[in-house]
Amino acid sequence: MNSNNNYKDTSNPVVQVRDVWKIFGDRADEALTAIRNENLSKAEVLERFEAVIGVQDVSFDVQESEVFCIMGLSGSGKSTLVRHINRLIEPTHGDILIGGVDVGKLNPKELRLLRADRIGMVFQNMALLPHRTVRDNIAFALELRNVDAFTRMQVADKVIETVSLQGYGDRLPADLSGGMQQRVGLARALAADPEILLMDEPFSALDPLIRRGLQDEFLELSAVMGKTTLFITHDLDEAIRMGSRIAIMKDGVIVQIGTPEQIVTEPADDYVADFVQGISRLKLVFAHTVMLDPKAYEQSGGSLHGSEEWPVASSEADLDTLIGLSVNRDTPILIVDDGNRVGVVTKDVLLRGIQGEN
Amino acid sequence: MQTPADTQHQAGSLAEVTSAQRAAEKSGAADAEAKAAFGDFVEKSRDYYAGTFLKIQQARLRLWHMNFAAALGGFIWAALRGNWMLFWVGFVFDMIAAANLGLVYRYSADKADAIVANKEFLIERFSNWTFLHLIAAVGIFIAGRLIIGWLADRIYYRQYSAWRIDSSVNSGVNASRWIIAALVVTLVAPLTLYRSTQDAPSNRDCIKVARAIQAGDEVGFKSRFDCSTISEVPTLMWLKRPPQYTYPKNDDGTRNIVLKESKAKRPVNLNVWLSEVIDQKIDYAKAFYGYIFDGITRWLRTLLNAIEALFVGTPWPVSAGIFLLIAYHFAGPKVAVFTASTMVYLGVFGFWQTAMSTVSIVIASTIICVLVGLPLGVWVGKSRLGSAIVTPILDVMQTIPSFVYLLPAVAFFSIGKPPGILATVIFAMPPMVRLTALGIKQVPESTKEAALAFGANPRQLLTKVELPLATPSIMAGVNQVVMMSLSMAVIAALIGAGGLGFVVVDALGQSEVGRGLLAGIAIALIAMAIDRIIQQANRAEN
Repeated sequence: MNSNNNYKDTSNPVVQVRDVWKIFGDRADEALTAIRNENLSKAEVLERFEAVIGVQDVSFDVQESEVFCIMGLSGSGKSTLVRHINRLIEPTHGDILIGGVDVGKLNPKELRLLRADRIGMVFQNMALLPHRTVRDNIAFALELRNVDAFTRMQVADKVIETVSLQGYGDRLPADLSGGMQQRVGLARALAADPEILLMDEPFSALDPLIRRGLQDEFLELSAVMGKTTLFITHDLDEAIRMGSRIAIMKDGVIVQIGTPEQIVTEPADDYVADFVQGISRLKLVFAHTVMLDPKAYEQSGGSLHGSEEWPVASSEADLDTLIGLSVNRDTPILIVDDGNRVGVVTKDVLLRGIQGEN
Repeated sequence: MQTPADTQHQAGSLAEVTSAQRAAEKSGAADAEAKAAFGDFVEKSRDYYAGTFLKIQQARLRLWHMNFAAALGGFIWAALRGNWMLFWVGFVFDMIAAANLGLVYRYSADKADAIVANKEFLIERFSNWTFLHLIAAVGIFIAGRLIIGWLADRIYYRQYSAWRIDSSVNSGVNASRWIIAALVVTLVAPLTLYRSTQDAPSNRDCIKVARAIQAGDEVGFKSRFDCSTISEVPTLMWLKRPPQYTYPKNDDGTRNIVLKESKAKRPVNLNVWLSEVIDQKIDYAKAFYGYIFDGITRWLRTLLNAIEALFVGTPWPVSAGIFLLIAYHFAGPKVAVFTASTMVYLGVFGFWQTAMSTVSIVIASTIICVLVGLPLGVWVGKSRLGSAIVTPILDVMQTIPSFVYLLPAVAFFSIGKPPGILATVIFAMPPMVRLTALGIKQVPESTKEAALAFGANPRQLLTKVELPLATPSIMAGVNQVVMMSLSMAVIAALIGAGGLGFVVVDALGQSEVGRGLLAGIAIALIAMAIDRIIQQANRAEN
């Protein structure tokens, strides 16, 4: 297991990924054995076995209703990894469990049922069928399960409403803008009402304004529908906006898994640190991360005298809120949880917190 | 030579450099430097070539510039300089001139014979020929030398450029190259010149010579030599004639295999031997597996009869109206007008029934092509094995001339419309397979992946994603099949497929150009009309 995985399993995970390896090449199995025994580098694997490592010993769980982001640059193996969940790609080694069922052990028919019923997928390039109307595209998964045309129409129309595409049901995808096409892609994934959504860089090909709009809409939808989502992106901002947890991938390895705050405040290595450098911490870092213990505050020469007059915030308040409390005042901020004074945030501390050197 | 950086640098301050160049030219410093490099390449006659090359580089070479050494030396100069391209050009020119001289000699001898025999018209003919070949010999020789002289420095400069890049390119002057040149000349020149001075023995004469040698008779050296060098390539293999069989039928329907006594005992050459073996095999297959060919013939005839009943059987006002409607509905008013004019032409010149017969064959062939070609195309598009097996076969099929397809059709199915359809199908099938495969291959990987991700099974993937997305390509294939079927249906008239093609073939046989031309125009009009209709229909659909 990944040593950086400091997330604690609290409930039954919907998706479990266990020690998954994917090596591309005709001699993948040989290569895997050799890598495990001899600790080979990527270049050596390529030279000796003509094999390319796509995913290297990845394990993680995704909890119900969670938006789990997998962030990495192109070639990091994130798209390969997500295709293992619905077995579009077979792992070289390792298991994927969905609701406790091993996907690798399903026969073709069961696998198709799983894909049609329980997993919806959204693609970066939409991958809509150009010869079908928006409605027929959306109802595609239902059609594959031989649902009758009337039910398909009804379901599709409902989903069209969900993604606010009313009136476009009878158009062809080519008549729609990129953003609208991706709404169709999302609607298609939602039509069969799956438990799990796999989103492979869904908004990457869109221009920034439309991307932001769709992100917000998806967050709203996600809050309402509570679908377990694996969200692939190469954009850390997007990952932080969307994800309840983020896994950062590099060269097929997951470097760090954590909440956005953990990623930003405790980067596991220089690679992650480089990434998070430019990220605004105002909404990501909370009082409990930056605050001084009251005793430590006193030891360092501060005084709690007159603290009744100080502004008060909870330990869950983010830096943005703390700044709001701190302006136009000379006193520190008192952090109170359940009536207990748990910490003090001085202006110095606040500034350091924004800077990121706490 | 300049590196790109140099060139850029120069481009940056071109004026400066040109003025500097001019100054250098005056002093001759730059020239001297360039000439030194040329000199290393040419080794001999440094000054001449350095000057010429410099002129070429400076684009100052005159249009009529000639290298007189090359013009005089011809291919020998080229060999010395190691430019084998110029060597061959020069050598071929000189050989043609020499061969013409040889002919002058030969016809002079013939003329002398004619004078002895006192044949007026022969004397005149040979005098004419002698004169013409003499002119040709001189003219070609001079032209060749002028061309070599003109090309020499220009091509030699290219050799220099190549040598700059790759120092193994021939440079300088090397007498050892004369050995190679001499070898080439001795191998080529004597026999070629000998051929030009002699009357070559005919094929038949040479067969006689070969038989005489076989029989152990005395044959003169000249006959032997001429037959083995300046006539047809001698057949080295003389084989025993293959046994001939017949397959008479018994009363109970079985067949006997009876050896036929052949009268000719002489050995035959490879060509005759293999032809007879193939004929024997085909006879055998027809005698013992005839029911297969008969079955196919019957099946084809049934299909064709059904289609002909529809097209030829329907009264012309009805079918013409339907065609017009189809053209208008699928391809719009313009094409409908064109189709109407085509039909008027067919009607006015009395081609209607004949044309319908041709169209029936085309439609029967198209149906078979689509039924067979579409699945085959899908297989080729989806399976690497299919592609590996079918693609080379298609390549061969498309290189075989269409006439050749008539041979197996006639061999196994005799003559008539069914073998005509068969030949047409074989000829017209490749584009259907190719374009279907192309359409299937062009379906984006991501679209297929999306369908799979939503639980499509292989059949659904094919019918709901791949085939619909491949439709434009498949329809282009159908259009091609129709066009090729039409052209082959005309050729198939040679083996009795009838229709408009028969009118053309018949007119050709009887030298009735007018009738053939009218039928040919009818075929062209039908082809254009069908092509327009299908193309417009495709365009409207997409």
